[in-house]
Amino acid sequence: MATLILPATLLVLALLVAPLVFLLRISLNEYSPTQLMIEALSPANYLRAIADPYYQEVMGTTMTVALSCTFLALVLGLAPAYWLARMESRWKSLALILTLFPLLVGNVVRAAGWMALLGRDGAINAALQGLGLSGEPLTLLYTKGAVIAGILAVVAPYMILTLAAVIEGIPRQVEEAAANLGAGPLTAFRRVILPLAAPGVAAGCVLVFILCMNAYATPVLLGGPQFKMMAPAVYDQFVRGTNWPFGAALAFLLLAVTLTLTVIGGAALGRRAR
Amino acid sequence: MRRRDLALAVAALTAGAPRLPRAQGAQLVVGTWGGDYGEILRQAVDEPVARPAGLEPVQDVAPAPPRKAKLLAERQARRGSMDVAALSDVDMYELAQHGMFDPVPESVRRQAAIIPALRKPYALPHIYSARVILYNPNRVPVAPRSYADLWDPKYRGRIGLSDLLYAQYVETAAIVGGGGNSDFAPAWEKLREWKRLGARVSPSNEALAAALKSEEVWLTVMWLARGFMWKKSGIPLAHVVPSEGATSITYEMAVPRNARNKDQAWRYMDAMLDVRAQAAFADRMGYVPTVTDAPLPAELAREISLSAEDQAKLRAPDYGYMAGMAPQVLEFWNKEFKG
Repeated sequence: MATLILPATLLVLALLVAPLVFLLRISLNEYSPTQLMIEALSPANYLRAIADPYYQEVMGTTMTVALSCTFLALVLGLAPAYWLARMESRWKSLALILTLFPLLVGNVVRAAGWMALLGRDGAINAALQGLGLSGEPLTLLYTKGAVIAGILAVVAPYMILTLAAVIEGIPRQVEEAAANLGAGPLTAFRRVILPLAAPGVAAGCVLVFILCMNAYATPVLLGGPQFKMMAPAVYDQFVRGTNWPFGAALAFLLLAVTLTLTVIGGAALGRRAR
Repeated sequence: MRRRDLALAVAALTAGAPRLPRAQGAQLVVGTWGGDYGEILRQAVDEPVARPAGLEPVQDVAPAPPRKAKLLAERQARRGSMDVAALSDVDMYELAQHGMFDPVPESVRRQAAIIPALRKPYALPHIYSARVILYNPNRVPVAPRSYADLWDPKYRGRIGLSDLLYAQYVETAAIVGGGGNSDFAPAWEKLREWKRLGARVSPSNEALAAALKSEEVWLTVMWLARGFMWKKSGIPLAHVVPSEGATSITYEMAVPRNARNKDQAWRYMDAMLDVRAQAAFADRMGYVPTVTDAPLPAELAREISLSAEDQAKLRAPDYGYMAGMAPQVLEFWNKEFKG
């Protein structure tokens, strides 16, 4: 058995762990505008990133957006997930495909669609002005709201499908028993289905939170030049600033914060499940 | 799963995967911008000049920053992925400091025709222009005369900037503040002042063009060539060469040291410097030819080149200074100006 696992393990090590180790090594180097980087073993890049109020703010924005999107995806995803899980008609596979549909379009294309909707000359402003509800075009694009809406549209299918898979595994009889004991549908959902679906809630939240923390295309395209989240900030350091050591340090800080929050959040939700 | 199904599945999975450009035979990979530049390169250099000369150029399209990052990432590799890299003069100098490019050999015949001031040992100049003021004459009836005029409070909230040209704005602010191309120290305070006056940053040049078109913003600092293109596309614009003197911008091409097809790459340089190719870039994109023998109709010359008086005041970027200041410039732009 161990021999069978070996090739896959080696492949994962080569493709995932090795680049991370390489990046970790780079993050300890010193930046030089003329030599790209100077070999060193210094924590200076990490200390600079942690102490800098600008990057604290960028990390704060990233966490706020990620937590907001995760919460909204959960709240908005529960009802469709339940409906999908309990569906018995022949349209179920169509409903599943429709849920997956947003994932079939690339992030950049989807963001371009949002830009056409939210821009100054976009569909929403045109409609508002056409109906006489607003004189001047509203600033909808390049706002935090636009980024949250854009990311939410990307992550909602992940949440819905994870929840639906777990709810499907909860026997219908449990709900019938609850109804038999006098619980209305909402009470049954809140006191019976939701606690039983907690592992799915935890898995969905973790998956969605990680995706949100690392979002790149949506914040760049819908947030505009003034809006900064961590993934675009990392890209900026590598590509615009050619400061690979600092970019690598920022990438590891993002990884560490995401991992810590995921472990804490996952453990808290897991405890509730028990 | 049967073998045929597996093959089909693999084919389906890889159908949409991007093909890595890799030149073979007479082929060569040209790392270039997409959009108008890439298209005109194809139409004016590749098709009429390079292909008849037996070359098969393949474009590796990307904006400049990822191309720089790719060249840097590949610099230790024995064989790189690009045979010709196109970049601005500022970026090209920065990479040349890393020993990235081969020196230009004697074999490039057309280098004799290059304007002497644009010659470099590590790159060949493709096209050039100058940084001027563009304004909407419908909204700004009295034309500004200098960069300094753009700090007039009467233009509050009407100055548009492109996020891509941040280093150019720092240099502009430095000039206004009493510094210059080799002294950015006065720039920071002038930029803070510009921010207080509501200068708006668009995420791209295209977004800036849209803001100028919708008259959201009325004035900007931009390449004369791009202003020419925008005017041609129907945006209400006029240009002014600033009294402080315009700074030049040259787009160059170089051959990385680890290019796989160097012979083809240097032959491509001759195609790029061909008079027909140079004239086409002037006509379509408004960039001035870098060779002395390319025809430029008088009317077009008036639109895209500088008068003798303005040429005398033309400022050259201080590449070494800019490369050294690059981290500070980006940091100020991100943290303070956009922050």
